[in-house]
Amino acid sequence: MDERATEYLDFSFCLNFRHSLPLLQPTWRLWGEERGDGVIYTVYLKKVRYHRPTRSLSASDSDDEISHLEWETVRVRFLKAGTVQRLVESLANDDGELESTYINVFLATYRAFTTPREVLELLLARYDALDEGSGALTGEQHRKTLVQALHVWLDAYPGDWKSPPNHPLLSRLLDFTHRRLPGSELELKARHRLHRFQREDQIDSCMVYDNGRLPRGSPDPIVDHWANYSFPEVPHRHFAEQLTRMDAEVFKKLIAHQCLGAVWSRRDRSRSHDAATVLATVNQFNAVSLRVISTILMDPTTKPQERARILETWIDIAQELRVLKNFSSLKAIVSGLQSNPVYRLEKCWQCMPREKHELFRELERIFSEENNAWTQRELLIKEGTAKFADTAGRSDRHLQKLFQKQNTHAGNISYGTIPYLGTFLTDLTMIDTAIPDTIAEGLINFDKRRKEFEVLARIRLLQGAANAYNFSTDPLFDRWFHSVVVLDDREAYKLSCQIEPPPPGNTLSNRGKKKQVSMLSLISLIRTRSRSPVPREKPEPRLILQSHQGHRKNDSIASTSSSSSSQFYCDLDSLPSSPHNSLDRRTSPSQMSSSSSSSSLPSLDVSLSSGGGSGATNQHNRLIPPTAITANGNSPNLVGLSSPSHSHKSSPDFYIIKVTMESDNVETEGVVLYKSIMLSNNERTPQVIRNAMLKLGIEGSPDQYTLAQVLPDREMVLPNSANVYYAVNTAHNLNFILRPRREPNDSATESPKSKTSHKR
Amino acid sequence: MLRTVAWTDSWKNVKQEWQIMIGRRQSSGGGGGRTRGGMTRPPNNDNLVTFKLVVVGDGGVGKSAITIQFFQRLFVTDYDPTIEDSYIQHTEIDKQWCILDVLDTAGQEEFSAMREQYMRKGDGFLLVYSVTDKQSYENVMFFYTQILRVKDKDACPMLLVANKVDLVHLRKVTEEQGRELAHQLGIPYIETSAKDPPLNVDAAFHEVGETK
Repeated sequence: MDERATEYLDFSFCLNFRHSLPLLQPTWRLWGEERGDGVIYTVYLKKVRYHRPTRSLSASDSDDEISHLEWETVRVRFLKAGTVQRLVESLANDDGELESTYINVFLATYRAFTTPREVLELLLARYDALDEGSGALTGEQHRKTLVQALHVWLDAYPGDWKSPPNHPLLSRLLDFTHRRLPGSELELKARHRLHRFQREDQIDSCMVYDNGRLPRGSPDPIVDHWANYSFPEVPHRHFAEQLTRMDAEVFKKLIAHQCLGAVWSRRDRSRSHDAATVLATVNQFNAVSLRVISTILMDPTTKPQERARILETWIDIAQELRVLKNFSSLKAIVSGLQSNPVYRLEKCWQCMPREKHELFRELERIFSEENNAWTQRELLIKEGTAKFADTAGRSDRHLQKLFQKQNTHAGNISYGTIPYLGTFLTDLTMIDTAIPDTIAEGLINFDKRRKEFEVLARIRLLQGAANAYNFSTDPLFDRWFHSVVVLDDREAYKLSCQIEPPPPGNTLSNRGKKKQVSMLSLISLIRTRSRSPVPREKPEPRLILQSHQGHRKNDSIASTSSSSSSQFYCDLDSLPSSPHNSLDRRTSPSQMSSSSSSSSLPSLDVSLSSGGGSGATNQHNRLIPPTAITANGNSPNLVGLSSPSHSHKSSPDFYIIKVTMESDNVETEGVVLYKSIMLSNNERTPQVIRNAMLKLGIEGSPDQYTLAQVLPDREMVLPNSANVYYAVNTAHNLNFILRPRREPNDSATESPKSKTSHKR
Repeated sequence: MLRTVAWTDSWKNVKQEWQIMIGRRQSSGGGGGRTRGGMTRPPNNDNLVTFKLVVVGDGGVGKSAITIQFFQRLFVTDYDPTIEDSYIQHTEIDKQWCILDVLDTAGQEEFSAMREQYMRKGDGFLLVYSVTDKQSYENVMFFYTQILRVKDKDACPMLLVANKVDLVHLRKVTEEQGRELAHQLGIPYIETSAKDPPLNVDAAFHEVGETK
């Protein structure tokens, strides 16, 4: 068997498959590891078609001939780990030919384990060593390959060679070519490169001078403020294009390998210039978000309707960004709108028309963190290099409409793509953390670099796609952009509270008590996402949207609990120093967020208060439906839970029953309140009553209440001694009514069949 | 093995609370969405409690290492951070399945504008600092304030995590300082280090569950 060691990676491979190693390919089989001096290979056996020597490669692929062809197995070696020297040597394979994929991975990632200087020295030393060697044919080929590698390096990563003023690396190379390869193409290229750098250095110094003269932004905001463009009366499409133009500039300048975990996330604060191009992208992102926030908050006297217009405008711009496939500014706008100071302006959001809410939700869904940002990743894969945006979720009505419209006017549909870089940065950080740099006593783990390269390759591909944008600069836009006064976190929050004050008497400082949260209150925060059949399309519970949809009259109300969350806390009054003192130093007392958790109002009531209810309390409760829990948390129905059959699909050894509370009051707002509780097979009536009381937030002794199943024709009151599980009539709905035990002659025993609501 | 004990103890607590929480959720959650005829089947795999844990802290404090420690299985050789369920763990506690979903935006710290967006989605938070970096310790307070503001609450489940405790000679924040801050915030404190042999949190969960 021959020793053909062809690696089989290219960009498209990386993008189509999620593993750069051919683990997923059926024709590949892991053979094992092979160790050499300072190097470890992973060896695969690959089944390939046998190529008759006379046939050209392309001809042999014709389908009808496949069956007549024979198969052969070749060994394919992947360098798994090695010393720097061995890694450099491996740029050429055993036959001395350039490993084209390998060199791509190597050049993209080597900065994580060595320096350009060392790589160059190793290359040159190897050239010298080969020259002095036997002079065999392979030696000649190896030397050619080394020169080729230097070419690739110079072309693909010119930045590595640039270090003004003297560019020592280039000088070193020129030294070498002068000595070894005078007049060669390599020498010419290196010389050209040097001249170009020197010219750029001169231009750069001029630029610095220029920048010094030209003031950035507007020096006199009073006169110039909003000059020419006055938000929100701005052309959406134009703004989206201009933002894209700005993003594309920084994204195209991004040096992909600066995103590597070893560079970006491990960088020293003092050495940020190592990741300057990444930082530039981040800054541009933040600049957009900050402009969203400040245009919305800047004038506290704006009426909610007018402020809603600003929100709408940003949403419209965001929509255009979606069409332009600029996910960076798109996310920046969504983030700005989701930032707390803006998000909490409930009145303002309520002034926005329903369609805008829906559109915003669709845009927001793109960046859902659900399933490891699945939506966003899929979009990039589908549209990354496609001509136009056309991927909308099944429920994204507005985007679907938009794309349809766009496709019928197909005049201008060649766009680039700008990704949100953060996802890549996190992926690279995680790879960097999860996979060790070295294995087997200090050998450089090159498999890790392959993994990183997959991500870098995606970035590089999108950078190429970003070239498709071609929007000319609008100086007025730039002027507007730079003239917007940006607010820091505290200022923004302060303004936001000025616009819509948090409910009075509910601030942290007013309470003056230090509360400790027990881990028990984790419970109050739990949400079940999984109830939706297609989780990633399920909208997050959102206050904004709910305020328009009204309250759903279904069980979900019942599943919110009314137990007062104040039980989760224990006071720590004795603490000499309250952290809130220190918090207050940052934010004035009036800014402190309010909370309903200690309010004596049970959350149920709050969430039922009529539609446009006021204040942050409301918001909180609707966002996070608290679940009933108790202070001790040891409710007996847990016993039922630990029974082994629960996670299996056997017949249930518990039921979920619905309990309503009867009270003397008339129904509130026609809403019927249920609590669903679990009924396990060992619970007797008093216990079930106790559980129901906990759920309904009723204090007192179970003895004071009776429990009855509501049947179509009558009520079945459960005797105290009954095992409720076996007593219930499962032929009918498991609806129960809980009512205070009355005197025997009380008139109210004839309760209506329908569930009585519960009012506090 | 002190550190291991610290982890185990902390997670023992979390686990106990978790169990309670799951039990509770079951009783209400099951009835919420899919009740038909007042009766619900035991949850299938699609209908599990999800708990979203958000990891916050300055860049460079080692958040990602903690996340990865948390998911022992991420140490498999073909670890891929881009697949859908990279940070989701199905965990069985006392034969009760639930989903732990960790949101760690390590590497995105400087995209400050999107921080509140993901904080809002958290059910619980790990506040991470590095004991070798005083600034990161001081910034914990900032994250704490921000979380409460975003959640619009005056308390929220959080855990203070002092990371990189193995770098003894570089340590700038003492254990006392850490504990004091935790006490001030009213949240538990643990010390961790990525250099330790990764502790199998999952196994610890089960161990505690079974020896009870």
